[in-house]
Amino acid sequence: MSDASVDSEDIPLEVVSDVDQTWQDTVRNLLNAYVLVPGRIMITDYRALIGFGIVFGYLFVGTIGVWLMEPTTMWDGERLMQSFETWDHPLGTDPQGRDLLTLMVYGTRPILLMMFSGGLFIVVVGTIVGTVAGFSRGRLDQLLSTITDVALTIPGLPLVIVLAVTLNPQSPILIGVLLAINGWGGLARNLRSQVLSIREEDYVEAANAMNVPTRHILLKDVLPNMMPYILYNFMSSMRGVLFASVGLYYLGVLPYSQENWGVLLDQAYTGGALTTWSMFHWILWPIVAVVTLSIGLILLSQSTDKLFNPRVRARHE
Amino acid sequence: MSQQVVAQENILELRDVTVSFGMNRGVSKVLDDVSIDIHRGEILGVVGESGSGKSMLASAILDAVVDPGTVDGEISYRTDSGETVDILNLEEEELRQLRWEEIAMVFQGAMSFFNPTMKIRGHFLETLKAHDQDVEDGMEHARELLTDLHLEPDRIFDTFPHELSGGMKQRALIALSLILEPNVLVMDEPTAALDLLMQRSILTLLDDLQEKYDLTIVFITHDLPLVKDLCDRIAVMYAFDVMEVFPAGDLSNSTHPYTRSLLNAVPNLTTSLDELRSIEGSAPDPVDIPSGCSYHPRCPLSTPECEQEDPALEEIGPDQEVACWHHEKVDEELPLALETSDGVSAEVYEGNQSDEPVVSMDDVEVHFESDDGGFLSLFDDPEVVRAVDGVDLEIYENDVVAIVGESGCGKTTFGKTAVGLQEPTGGSVQYRGQDIWETKAGRGNGDRSYAEIRRALQIIHQDPGSSLNPNRKISATLQVPMKSWQSDLDVEDRKARLLAMLESAGMSPPEDYADRYPHQLSGGEKQRVALIRALLMNPDLILADEAVSALDVSMRVDMMDLMLTLQDLFDTSYLFISHNLTNARYLAGRAGGRIAVMYLGEIIEIGPAEEIVQNPQHPYTQALHWSTTDLDSTDETESPISDIDVPDPIDPPSGCRFHPRCPEAREVCASEKPSLESETDHCTACFREYPEDHPYWDSEPLDQETVGVTVEGESS
Amino acid sequence: MNGRWLLKRIGMSLLVVWTTITLTFALIRLMPGSPISRMRAELYQQYGATMSQEQIDRQVRLYLNVQPDQPLWQQYFNYMFDTFQGDLGHSYIQGVEVTVILADVLPWTVFLLSIAIMFQYTIGILLGASMAYAEGTRFDFASTSVSTFLVSVPFYVFAFLLIFFFVFQWNLFPQGGKYATGLEAGSLAFYRSVLYHATLPIVSLIVTGFGGIALSMRANSIQTLGSDYIRGARLRGLSNFRISYRYVARNAILPLYTGLLIQIGFLFGGAVILEQIFSYRGIGYVLLDATLFRDYPLMMGTFLVITIAVVIGVFVADLTYGKLDPRIQTGDNS
Repeated sequence: MSDASVDSEDIPLEVVSDVDQTWQDTVRNLLNAYVLVPGRIMITDYRALIGFGIVFGYLFVGTIGVWLMEPTTMWDGERLMQSFETWDHPLGTDPQGRDLLTLMVYGTRPILLMMFSGGLFIVVVGTIVGTVAGFSRGRLDQLLSTITDVALTIPGLPLVIVLAVTLNPQSPILIGVLLAINGWGGLARNLRSQVLSIREEDYVEAANAMNVPTRHILLKDVLPNMMPYILYNFMSSMRGVLFASVGLYYLGVLPYSQENWGVLLDQAYTGGALTTWSMFHWILWPIVAVVTLSIGLILLSQSTDKLFNPRVRARHE
Repeated sequence: MSQQVVAQENILELRDVTVSFGMNRGVSKVLDDVSIDIHRGEILGVVGESGSGKSMLASAILDAVVDPGTVDGEISYRTDSGETVDILNLEEEELRQLRWEEIAMVFQGAMSFFNPTMKIRGHFLETLKAHDQDVEDGMEHARELLTDLHLEPDRIFDTFPHELSGGMKQRALIALSLILEPNVLVMDEPTAALDLLMQRSILTLLDDLQEKYDLTIVFITHDLPLVKDLCDRIAVMYAFDVMEVFPAGDLSNSTHPYTRSLLNAVPNLTTSLDELRSIEGSAPDPVDIPSGCSYHPRCPLSTPECEQEDPALEEIGPDQEVACWHHEKVDEELPLALETSDGVSAEVYEGNQSDEPVVSMDDVEVHFESDDGGFLSLFDDPEVVRAVDGVDLEIYENDVVAIVGESGCGKTTFGKTAVGLQEPTGGSVQYRGQDIWETKAGRGNGDRSYAEIRRALQIIHQDPGSSLNPNRKISATLQVPMKSWQSDLDVEDRKARLLAMLESAGMSPPEDYADRYPHQLSGGEKQRVALIRALLMNPDLILADEAVSALDVSMRVDMMDLMLTLQDLFDTSYLFISHNLTNARYLAGRAGGRIAVMYLGEIIEIGPAEEIVQNPQHPYTQALHWSTTDLDSTDETESPISDIDVPDPIDPPSGCRFHPRCPEAREVCASEKPSLESETDHCTACFREYPEDHPYWDSEPLDQETVGVTVEGESS
Repeated sequence: MNGRWLLKRIGMSLLVVWTTITLTFALIRLMPGSPISRMRAELYQQYGATMSQEQIDRQVRLYLNVQPDQPLWQQYFNYMFDTFQGDLGHSYIQGVEVTVILADVLPWTVFLLSIAIMFQYTIGILLGASMAYAEGTRFDFASTSVSTFLVSVPFYVFAFLLIFFFVFQWNLFPQGGKYATGLEAGSLAFYRSVLYHATLPIVSLIVTGFGGIALSMRANSIQTLGSDYIRGARLRGLSNFRISYRYVARNAILPLYTGLLIQIGFLFGGAVILEQIFSYRGIGYVLLDATLFRDYPLMMGTFLVITIAVVIGVFVADLTYGKLDPRIQTGDNS
């Protein structure tokens, strides 16, 4: 270095440390940053707690719950038993005598898979397109923005119907992606404008001046600012996929290999569950399942802002 | 309290006015038992640093403190007919009528005062209608006001707020505040966001308006020197109370230790540079005001008496009150620094610059094409903004170059070009003889890598709020530079080093600071962190873009001193960008550096700091000098520019770009462009520097009126 | 209105339509087991004895607007040309021109959706603004909770509940159809019947739609209420009515527009489900029908027309936005 002539003791630049950080410290720091602090923030907000409880409950049912229950078959019980009549069939049975609770539990898994894959697809595509468009000037930005606007305008559900009929996908994961096929437009457009303003922030320019690689800038300086919004969008996209999938199963245009809430809803509707009180519980439980999960997601998503806000974080460290 | 000067009737009397907010930390008093009289027809300056309660005073006068704040005490207003109105006990409708018809207010930040979806005309119309005024007469009055403020009424009426520049918006707002012909105008930092030249121009206009419309003005500001010539009396606020009131005009009238220290902390154009002292400590928290005199923890004169008993305002002369037990000792113990310097003979510091330039810029141009994207933008001609237009500059080791100019003159773009963050569209930028952008493109002719150049050129920004990533702790932010060029250091070494740096920048305990998020630091501390971050790259040149402008007055000298100390330690040069001649003088002057004055993308004058300040040659530099009031001058000078607003940089004037605003402009200035003469180290781009045989001297003066004259002519 | 800005919006709309046409072409022509080969096979099976290969090709061409024997690019241009001329092919099942079928059903869907969207926004904006004014009160809390709950309910679920109670339990409304049979078109009784039949579908959209709008309107209004220009307007003595209408509402509504653009597309998509539930023969109903019967020409044509309808809706919304926000026209909206 050019300043070798200066006495090194004066210059804090030459200081080195004599302590070593152990891997336990690293683990403790990570645990603190990603588990303890978010947990502590969540406890202070009852809405976040309820939302977390609901979503976690569904996850439990969709994964472990399936292992705990025998699958139901026709004539497991009497036909059309009402809810809460017996402990054997707490939610009642359908006209073929199948246990509704078991059907609901088994129907959870494909729905969750669809929601997750669809939500993930939207968030990944939306984040990449939006961030790249915002961070690159000129032609690429124009191209991506135009594609985004097109995706935003083409009506989603008809497109999905047309594609589903033509492509005929089977696995819940693929169906989830299909349902989310053009749902990323809103996120991408919004993130683009966020990136446009963040990239003008002085600390991004300072990072440029320090020759920090662009991917590091995106990862450390740009993305964290958008995380609350991205996470919020993940939750609301999952909700969108949930609504769309159940709706399209009801229409009978989506192929399926396992029964899920949407299929149950369709069966109940076509079976005339809406015409009389005695069959109402048949269609009620899929509805309750959808609405409750949706509420859970909304409550959880309302608290994402807090999780990433440094002002809130600082109070809980 | 009896008024001794009988002739001066008080238009407003404030008695024991207190504003308090209930917070979960306790009751916070943001105005603490303030009592003050405001005379009819005077201009009262209320001066204080941020968080001194001065804005609350403005809101309290109109009983407009925002919820959940509460106002106690008594505010009486005396109308023209002699009736007394108790403002704090008015019915809603009476209060509505009092506001704007009797007492109007101009807020801080006119930018957000107008409804963004309504044209300026609408704002005037609705105000007239809401107060049942005759619309036609009212609009006629509005036109007159706008003309008085150097705006074209028809053009202004038809624009939306976002289409006006800051200075225009602020003037339109002043016109709006006077539309109902109020008696009192309360102005809260009306010019803080504007350039100095614009501030001074507005102040000049305000002076004329005050005479023409017989106004009483309460002018609230953090900038004491700015309002010294405008005001009749100055009230100084500290910790939510008035410390003293004294007749403006002569600052040596001030007798409170705080005022003296404040004045001695503000860089100016005359005070000898080493007389400047920052004030130790910081202003108190509104929940926890020190007992006794609230200033005693920071006061050099404080005695046990000050800690126990709060001194009340006591009258010590005509128009003069002070709240201090020791005001007699002030002249002796805390003399005003400006009195000790004897005018022009300020000493000149010797710099220790190298001979070889670190960065040299040759005929640099930066032109921006405005292009809003979209595939149809091919169809229209892009508008070209000539942000920087043909500038040469060399910066040496251990150098300080200050670039001074109004906002929009291209100084920031120029600075970023100098440190290689903005690619020039013409000319070259070289680091130690090696072209930066050629090197980046891989065509370099030297042996330095781009990464090495990048390390050598760093930046500190203006806005402390945006210079640090809000999501990362200080320690993470400060590790970035070391990760960037010293990959051999491990986490512990990096931490140890950044702690040492924090310590050396006066932030202790460093462990505590390293573990904080940016929002847990004050503005000054954030700027220190930004400075440390830049220095950790061990750079040769740091671009300091208005690095002290956002700080409180008393913090600025502190920050600049730190920059200078660290310059000695690290052998760094600074390119210091400022709209403020005084800050430029302080930093460049102490390092024996230069000041360059920029106007519309060009450098129009450059030379040694003291030389530029004491002996400005270019009419524009003289205007800047005029805009920066001398603390000890008492004469009011007329504005040296003929047009308040800066021309559009998309279409700069022909010839000398300053000629439309220049009082010395002659016909030749409009067609020919003067170059920077360079026989000495003080260069000026003006024909008046040219020998007598230049056509300028025979050319006819351009027919222009100056700002002051126009207003006078119309008011008579 | 800024001509350049207008040109840009029109260009964007055309681009969307063009993309959709290309997409439908690609789906018809390029997908494995494509509609063309499937249709050929079916025709061959049915009429293989009586029809020559050429006749079958002609039949395919007539229905799908595609000429399988031409080079791909030529097929594409012909398809594009025909489509832009308004020729969307023939329905494979009904044998009628696709445009004729769609012209008959589209107005019904537009009627349902425009009324629903109008009510959604009127209720949402008024409720959201009142919530903002009453921030922190019990009314605010209750309305926020109700709105949040309503956002969680898909519109078709609410439609089920409406049918269950209002149709089958209480017999107050008809389950389906657009109007009662035997009424003279244009008579007062006819219009009343139309409104009567449209009530339940519209209500299910309104009830599940206004909550989200109210919540964002509430947030926008709270932000606007805290702005300097509101404070200034109060000091200038403007009436509360003018402040709430010209200052708060005007500025708080602007950010809702992004949502409106998405909402239009969402509602047209949702029409498929809604019209099926209420057996309401609109464009969504036709799309589903075509889909279930694998009537490709009708399906693709319907999809295209729905897209065009959305594009026009978005375009109109954009125009009004430009009128409301002066900052748009000078290109200052980034």
